[in-house]
Amino acid sequence: MAEITFRQALNETLREELTRDENVFLIGEEIGNFEGSYKITAGLLKDFGPRRVVDTPIAENGFVGLATGAAMLGLRPIVEIMTINFIIMAMDEIVNHAAKIYYMFGGQCPIPMVIRTPGGGGQQLSATHSQNLEVWFSHVPGLKVVAPSTPEDAKGLLRSSVLDNNPVIFLENLALYNVRGEVPEGYYTTPIGQAKVSKEGTDVTVISYSRMASVALDVAHRIEQETGLSVEVVDLRSLRPLDTETIINSVKKTGRGIIFEEDWRTYGIGAEIAATLQEEAFDYLDAPIKRVASVEVPLPYSKPLELAALTGARQLIEAINELAPRRRRR
Amino acid sequence: MAEVSMPRLSDTMQEGTITRWLKKPGDEVKKGDIIAEVETDKANMEVESYDAGVLEQILVNEGETAPIGQTIAVLGSGENVQQGGQSKQASGQQDGQSKKADTQQQKPSDNGKSEKAPTAAEDPTGANPSAEVERSLASDNKAQAKGAEAQSTSSDAGVKASPLARRIAEEHGVNISQIKGSGPGGRIVREDVEDFLEQQGNQPAQPAQTEAPAQTSQPAAQQAAAAPPAQQQGDEVRNISSMQKTIARRLAESKQTVPHFYVSNEVDLTDALALRQQLNSNVGEGGVKISVNDLIVKACALALEKFPDVNSSYKDGQFIHHQRVNVGIAVDIPNGLVVPVIRDANLKGVRSIARETKTLAEKARAGKLAPDDFSGGTFSVSNLGMMDVTEFVPIINPPEAAILAVASARKTFVPVNGQPVVRDIMPLTVSADHRILYGAAVARFLQEVKRLLQNPYDLLG
Repeated sequence: MAEITFRQALNETLREELTRDENVFLIGEEIGNFEGSYKITAGLLKDFGPRRVVDTPIAENGFVGLATGAAMLGLRPIVEIMTINFIIMAMDEIVNHAAKIYYMFGGQCPIPMVIRTPGGGGQQLSATHSQNLEVWFSHVPGLKVVAPSTPEDAKGLLRSSVLDNNPVIFLENLALYNVRGEVPEGYYTTPIGQAKVSKEGTDVTVISYSRMASVALDVAHRIEQETGLSVEVVDLRSLRPLDTETIINSVKKTGRGIIFEEDWRTYGIGAEIAATLQEEAFDYLDAPIKRVASVEVPLPYSKPLELAALTGARQLIEAINELAPRRRRR
Repeated sequence: MAEVSMPRLSDTMQEGTITRWLKKPGDEVKKGDIIAEVETDKANMEVESYDAGVLEQILVNEGETAPIGQTIAVLGSGENVQQGGQSKQASGQQDGQSKKADTQQQKPSDNGKSEKAPTAAEDPTGANPSAEVERSLASDNKAQAKGAEAQSTSSDAGVKASPLARRIAEEHGVNISQIKGSGPGGRIVREDVEDFLEQQGNQPAQPAQTEAPAQTSQPAAQQAAAAPPAQQQGDEVRNISSMQKTIARRLAESKQTVPHFYVSNEVDLTDALALRQQLNSNVGEGGVKISVNDLIVKACALALEKFPDVNSSYKDGQFIHHQRVNVGIAVDIPNGLVVPVIRDANLKGVRSIARETKTLAEKARAGKLAPDDFSGGTFSVSNLGMMDVTEFVPIINPPEAAILAVASARKTFVPVNGQPVVRDIMPLTVSADHRILYGAAVARFLQEVKRLLQNPYDLLG
């Protein structure tokens, strides 16, 4: 097992996929000569040339449309949107075209396209450059949405995304790029639509994804050490399709659930999961489902205000302490 | 707005009874103010406010009991002061609940009883009160069975409980309204139901008013005949304090789970009494006099040091030798019994032991013992010598392995060189845990106690 960063995991996988299948190509702003704003595509233009690693003008709707068309004709584009905030320009291409073409044209042509894009706040990039818009895509039938939290899953899920014949939104997080983690040797894939119990526990379940899943894991270990409270952590990994079975089983076991997400609270991933849990595990709930999410404001530029608005370990610890069963027999 | 909840005041505490409110609704409360007194299973303790504000509402009235974590009062700005009204209502509800609890508590006994129904029916006089009770219980049973479905919709409609708690209660046929909730706002959660079931499991066939504990081990037939649960006319039913409940629970557990055996001996106390008189003769006004009990405690402590097996505990298949010798002394207090502990009694002089014992006994009688004062004992002494007792057999105070019973010293003729001589003879009995202690070990320990008391200067070493 090698320990590498999330960034390396992505870079290695892109390289592998370009090598494995000549129909795979990369397209996006500044991914070639500049090697990507976050250096995910470092070295790839040099090794694979401009037909496989395509720099584009600043025109998201244009190049997402181009990639959709290429996918219709049998290529397997991997699009990089510099950050998720710019994807808004391409919503029509994604929601009205990529997500629906297979369905609307009688299954004649699938759209094997991956759109990679980082989101997340905490970098002082202010209101329009710090968003978490995963819900927008998770809401749309015809799309798949994944949001890994570890280098291992980043690799496994990116491979699965490239192999998948549906458009996949591959969500990254700016604050995860430098996170290190062990990655198994050899070729493996992580199935889309399968959550992972990243830590087993008995008292309360924390359900999360992307960066917050890694924060949740830290918090769970810390709390267990400090207070003996046994926290189970479920890393969703995929937001659509959602692995309801794993979260339901976990909450059936612990009786208590918290959804921990970096996006805004209302209409969020947490809302969806809370609804699922009350539908499917009502008789197992020992407390109301809790949502821990960010404050509902456009994210401020000022560092103290940004920190105040974003959710994090502190908020999760508070929620766990509030929700956890009183352990009277200790 | 801040909520004051029932604090955890000792390790074993599960609930507390409010003995006194020191603030009333409308009173200003500062951070750190003592707002109430609570009786736990072990002691009377004070409840301190962690917030400042105006006491707006009292949710648990004096004399009422609440589990750890339950909100007992609400502090606020003073705009919503509720003079009694709300609190009455809350208490009314709780009263209703505890009444229900009383009737409900008989339920587990039903099953056992109906099996024995023939015995009762054979009673030719028909005057057996238990037969009548059974009939009423049986009809209760039916009503309950019929009501089982309705339970979640009607009788407990106003009860706050988690879906999981409701399900578990339903699965066990328990009416959830008889359970007290420890969750936010008094919500009943899984743990509350589990605790309730556990308690019921621990007290099989024990309607609140019977004297069942003594009878549980008797043959069933005898029990059926001897255990009419009904109270006779004129009987008084009194609720026992949480301390008494703890005593009942722990001693029943001890006698039922620890295999007791007993070893007795007699000690010639004549020399020890002489020494004591000498030690006390010059104490003067305000000095601390040494009692016979202090000498016995010291003798035990030294003997425990010599026989560490007796200074130990049995736990989960393991034999724990305690490093320290902490001797508990049973102290008689109104409506109960406490066992404050003299720590490191083997290292303390008899005068220190006397002084400490006096302080602890005073604190005990005033109900002011702190948890530290009565925890950590490794052996106990129960002395009824001042009550004209010829002998008695004590129950081990878990997790200790043994306890010494001290009876009254009496002037007795004993043969000395073939001649009858009057000496002060005191019977001692040790109850010991046979899982880790055996007859010979305890006999040797008792011999050493005897030797020390008969050579009392060794106690001063």
